[in-house]
Amino acid sequence: MGRIDPRELIGRYGTAIAGLALILFFLIFAQNFASATNIVNVLKDTSFLAILALGFALAFTVAELDLSVAEMASLAAVVCGWLVHAQYPPAVAVMAALGVGVGLGLLNGYGVTVLRIPSLIMTLGTAAIAKGLAFMITQGVAFVGRWPVGFTGLARGYSFGIPNLVLWMTGATLFAWGLVKWTKTGAHMVATGEADEAARLAGIATARMKRIGLLLAGVFASLMAVLLAANLSSAAPNMAGDYLLYAIAAVLLGMTMFEPGKPNVPGTVFAALVLKVLGNGLVLLGAPYYVQDIVLGAIIIGSVAFSASAMKKAAFKV
Amino acid sequence: MLVAAAALVALGQPAGAFEVGIIGFQFTSETHARVANAAAAAAKARGWNVTLLNSEGALPKHAEQFDALIAKKVDAIIIAMGKPVEADAQFKAAKDAKIPVVTVQSGASPHALFDIQSNEYKIGADAALYLLGQLGFQGNILTARFDLNVASRIRGKILDVVLSENQAVKEIGKFSMARTQSWRDDVRAGMQALLLQNQGKVNGIWVSFDGQAYIIDDLLQAQGVKKGQIPMVSVDGGQESYERIADPNSTFMATVSIPFEEMGKQAVDAIQAIAVDKKPKESVTPGPYLFVDAVLVDKNNVQQFLKK
Repeated sequence: MGRIDPRELIGRYGTAIAGLALILFFLIFAQNFASATNIVNVLKDTSFLAILALGFALAFTVAELDLSVAEMASLAAVVCGWLVHAQYPPAVAVMAALGVGVGLGLLNGYGVTVLRIPSLIMTLGTAAIAKGLAFMITQGVAFVGRWPVGFTGLARGYSFGIPNLVLWMTGATLFAWGLVKWTKTGAHMVATGEADEAARLAGIATARMKRIGLLLAGVFASLMAVLLAANLSSAAPNMAGDYLLYAIAAVLLGMTMFEPGKPNVPGTVFAALVLKVLGNGLVLLGAPYYVQDIVLGAIIIGSVAFSASAMKKAAFKV
Repeated sequence: MLVAAAALVALGQPAGAFEVGIIGFQFTSETHARVANAAAAAAKARGWNVTLLNSEGALPKHAEQFDALIAKKVDAIIIAMGKPVEADAQFKAAKDAKIPVVTVQSGASPHALFDIQSNEYKIGADAALYLLGQLGFQGNILTARFDLNVASRIRGKILDVVLSENQAVKEIGKFSMARTQSWRDDVRAGMQALLLQNQGKVNGIWVSFDGQAYIIDDLLQAQGVKKGQIPMVSVDGGQESYERIADPNSTFMATVSIPFEEMGKQAVDAIQAIAVDKKPKESVTPGPYLFVDAVLVDKNNVQQFLKK
């Protein structure tokens, strides 16, 4: 039995402990925070952010930044809403939306690995294209309607007494975690992200791993888009744009816990939950909107600073 | 620490006081902020606790904030420029929780008490006919549009109807604004190009909202255009608009002034009457709307609107 180093413990779990303390704080001080309705609402709200952030984290695992995830999601939602609104079967609409994610994910992968465009630039370009297409399809006017329960139920329904959104989030989390932790592909993705050249020399198809990471970011974005459109019974051209910064924040915050310095699945999901708890809790406390932004920014900076020593030790730098 | 500080600020509100949640859909749009801030000020003046929220133009965030206010069990909710159709589930949840909701410039919802609003169709007609009147019902106009916003889009459509009936007035160029963070730069660049392209041929300019008009006014002034040479009309109102209308060097001729602050205050007054004084909703307005009058402001009445 080796001795536990408190500094290492803080580096690994400090942010998670702070997150739990935050939840405890709201449990004590925010009226109705612990009500069943509110907890379900927070979990549902977390699901969208968590799914999108997981996609971003998978791309980040192969050391690629996908800044198009939010706009891809907006376009996928628009395509989905467009088809549902035109009374196509929900399955067709869902497949088309997923097709958008797959198509744009493949495009990002092609641009980064074949055309050698840095992912930051490539995905910014893809984001602009996706945004333009979303506005072209909608002409700026959201698709809204009384959509079939077969579609809206994907997000609004319950299975076995659990909200479907929570089940989708759980499924996405298990898939991502299982992929990274227990498959050869996942191990190769991690190796590619940590030391691209060394992985290539070891015989890993690093370009393929990068394409898989970016493809998964697109798939997760489009899954989130389908759920978002189903939950709101509407699809607007900018409906997911707001999520990009929060997704990045969730991944970066997630990198300060469990596996400090590395993008990781449980950290990302827990960070998404913390961010949503923070927003919800501050509303329940009656804090004005600008206070929420200030607190959110400070918590992100503080959390990362808190685990800075662990981040420095890690091979994967932010 | 910061969360604790925020909590202290929030907990500093009087306990047991009437509590209202106010959501503005997008505070970067000045009109949304004007309604929400006026409602918040009126509510605080009554000694109410106020939770003021900004959805930042994001529908998912709007729904989340709405849900949180319902979970908080506030006594009433006011929504500025909301989306009753898209957020129907939240409106219904509020109604089921017996929380009265008053909306402003949002459109009617079967689950809200009513919507306080100006009649955009009438506003569009007022602005269009004023401009055509300035031109003597003939000449060429440029238009600066914003079709991604419902109110601006309606105004533009009404202009089109007016133009279709007055064919001696031609729209020789139009700039359609996108909903970007850099819209001011976009408007400046777009209108600069149109003015250059149509130099000497422009008799008037129709603008969908005042924010665009300020930018175009600056452009025209920089080009040496004098007041009345190229009449420009817009919609919204506000001190900056009134000052420009009164300024002899500005090309801004008129705006249709929507009383945004008054609407915010009326929302609070309505909540007071219905939720606090327990008066029937019909005592405030019988239908799904409470219409407020928008006033055309030009050189003839601008002094009444300028803050002394």
